[in-house]
Amino acid sequence: MTRESQTERPRLAPGVRYRWDAMREQHQLLFPEGLLVLNESGAAIVQLCDGRTTDQMIHELEDLVTDGNPADDVHQFLARLAEKGLLRDGNS
Amino acid sequence: METPSPYSLLAELTYRCPLQCPYCSNPVEMSRYAGELETRCWKRVLSEASSLGIVQVHFSGGEPLLRDDLEDLVAHARSEDLYCHLITSGVKADEKRLGQLKEAGLDAIQISLQDSRQEESDWLAGARSFEIKQSAVQAAREQGFPITLNIVLHRHNLGQLEEMIELARQWKVDKLELAHVQYAGWALRNRAALLPTAEMVTRSTTIVERARQSLAGQLEIVHVLPDYFQQFPKACLHGWGRVFLTVSPDGSVLPCQTAREIPGLQIPTVEDGSLEEIWFQDPLFQRFRGTDWMPEPCRSCDRREIDFGGCRCQAFLVTGDLSATDPVCHLSPKRFLIDEAISESETAERELVFRSGPDGF
Repeated sequence: MTRESQTERPRLAPGVRYRWDAMREQHQLLFPEGLLVLNESGAAIVQLCDGRTTDQMIHELEDLVTDGNPADDVHQFLARLAEKGLLRDGNS
Repeated sequence: METPSPYSLLAELTYRCPLQCPYCSNPVEMSRYAGELETRCWKRVLSEASSLGIVQVHFSGGEPLLRDDLEDLVAHARSEDLYCHLITSGVKADEKRLGQLKEAGLDAIQISLQDSRQEESDWLAGARSFEIKQSAVQAAREQGFPITLNIVLHRHNLGQLEEMIELARQWKVDKLELAHVQYAGWALRNRAALLPTAEMVTRSTTIVERARQSLAGQLEIVHVLPDYFQQFPKACLHGWGRVFLTVSPDGSVLPCQTAREIPGLQIPTVEDGSLEEIWFQDPLFQRFRGTDWMPEPCRSCDRREIDFGGCRCQAFLVTGDLSATDPVCHLSPKRFLIDEAISESETAERELVFRSGPDGF
């Protein structure tokens, strides 16, 4: 499995979960022995990691992102998650 | 400064364990704390933890699978929106229990191994366990759990580092945690027999770095360096009473699991109040919170909010002063005590004292 294929149809890896922390008003991505605090766009991306293609994700997010380039944001963010081992390829 | 809520709860369900590792993090005088909280009480603690802001629970021990209510507690923790991580020896982690834990909502598993070689691993564990652990890893993989293999490093197994990495790859775990012994409790008692040499540590760092590069994307390797051979102390707990909270088998509430062995501390229990009251108000949790308690050289140090003065337990165990700068710091006036321990261990060949106390059988 290559890095590229991981982000083609990204899904969260086993044991990785999105969570809204109501007390801290925080988007969180939980994984064994750690968590990432996500911003709004990160949270939106993570919640679309359900096996759809990255292009479909970008299309979905175009309505949400008003400034910047959603395609770049999505690719960069997914690459960071993949680097941390938090994604799997949705095809498998 | 406002006190933040903690993120992580270490739930030590029992000190009972079928293994006898000579570096166990449980108290040396375990028999003094033989009582265990009942299921109902643990559920209350888990609910209180969630209200306090805890996000992740590490179910640990001893061997947490010796509690037959583990599934029940995991299910309860999940119903409280907590991330559930099991820290186990792997002994007792058979297909049936793991299947039940999956159903209960367990998120991830860490399984310990003592060495890459069966004979050595069984010797260090004080029991035949290598093959059982191998089966446990396989069973956990079949259930789809993310698996961390944890190996504690010391003089007796550091030579097998390459084999350990190869074994983690063969066993197809997601993460390999190679953690040097932290010298408190049983490990402090066995310090002279466990400390590696500086050369061994340097060599092992090179091996891990090389493996990290060649296995990138295949196996994540976490390497916890031995603080005795570092210039600066560990950011122990990321600060006292800041991120972590421990509840021990008998209901003691602690900033860390080692703190109960420090004489003279008034330790609150879950009967004394809610976790929230204890976290925000109990004097034990306030004692080393922030930076006001710090002596020099910590007080004026640029790193005071990076390493928080290091480990309080280590300060006490090595210098006798709970408020001292962690003696592993090269700026500590007591650093010579660490250097002496390292040189003594190079000449002394001592027998290991294996953990004894409540066992599982």
